[in-house]
Amino acid sequence: MHDLPLPRTVVPLVSVATAVLVLWVAWESLRDPETLWAPGAVSRYHAAVAGCSSCHTPFRGPMTAQCVLCHSEPRFAAEAGPWTAAFHADLLRREQSCLACHTEHRGKLGSLTAANPHGDWIFLGTGTSSCLTCHEFEPVFGRRPMVLNNEVVLRLMAKGGGAHRPGQMASCTTCHTAGRRSE
Amino acid sequence: MTPAIRRLAMLVLSIMAAVLSAWMFESWLSVGKPSPFAHTRQGHLLGWLGLGLTLLVFVYPVKKRLNRNRRWPRDWFRVHMVAGVMGPLVILLHSGAHLHALVPLFALASMAFVVVSGIIGQGVHYVAVRTLNARRRQLHDEGLSDEDIESHLRRMAAQEEAFRLWQSVHAPVTLMFLAFTVMHVMGALYFGGF
Repeated sequence: MHDLPLPRTVVPLVSVATAVLVLWVAWESLRDPETLWAPGAVSRYHAAVAGCSSCHTPFRGPMTAQCVLCHSEPRFAAEAGPWTAAFHADLLRREQSCLACHTEHRGKLGSLTAANPHGDWIFLGTGTSSCLTCHEFEPVFGRRPMVLNNEVVLRLMAKGGGAHRPGQMASCTTCHTAGRRSE
Repeated sequence: MTPAIRRLAMLVLSIMAAVLSAWMFESWLSVGKPSPFAHTRQGHLLGWLGLGLTLLVFVYPVKKRLNRNRRWPRDWFRVHMVAGVMGPLVILLHSGAHLHALVPLFALASMAFVVVSGIIGQGVHYVAVRTLNARRRQLHDEGLSDEDIESHLRRMAAQEEAFRLWQSVHAPVTLMFLAFTVMHVMGALYFGGF
């Protein structure tokens, strides 16, 4: 199979078109970087944040150190409810990553927080108040957390006639409907 | 419906089915997950794999241009065709139907342009060669001299070459595809980290 010589104008034409597009991307990146680069629109909670570099560190991505510049312990104490403030104060003291539970660019109306797959009454069932009692999280949103091998976890696994075992724990509501113990 | 139109319709349907299948598979992998598959570590790894496969495509044109006096690199052309379809399919799994940012969208669109023009070009070439060979046999059976056959076929070949305008799109738009792919990769590393 052999190639035909291309018409002389083709390569310069495509080169110019590419150069124009690249320059346009560079220009628009200064004005509206979200449209060009972001995987989704920033949520309404962060609509007032100015510029990508408020949250993103170049070549390192979003980092907890950037989050806590705004979401500091005093700000939680001043603006959040007592449970939320205490919960996050504890996380900040333990230097946990915000990215284990929070994300962005899910659209203007998107949620920033990962849903608790167990449902909120896992806390009622275990007598705990924090995910960290049973889990260790990686600093990456969406990654499955590691289950700790402690007394609370072992006690929960001993319950349920063998139903509470790894791989079966996430969806409590399959067996426990409306907060009732399954038959 | 003429055979050519039927082949073209089959080609368009196959390409659409491949794109939809890849995106539906990505959606299925994302069901019940906090993040779409395309935004996970595995999704990003698929992006690198797709890029690696796609880069294999360039061995053929480089070899062909560097070794003009040697035999046509048939095996690398096969790699070019297989990797030119498999790489973009993996890229489609990596992208999913999440078409928000314009830079990766430009990269995806230019990739689609290059792939579709390549598939059409190969189809046109395959049909043309088959037609030429069939016509050569027919003229030979009719008792024409080799000279007359060559003269007859040269006219047909010229018509086929005039139809190969796809080459005007296939090779040069690769430049645009490479530029936007590099920008997308650099942007992903800049904003997302290593």
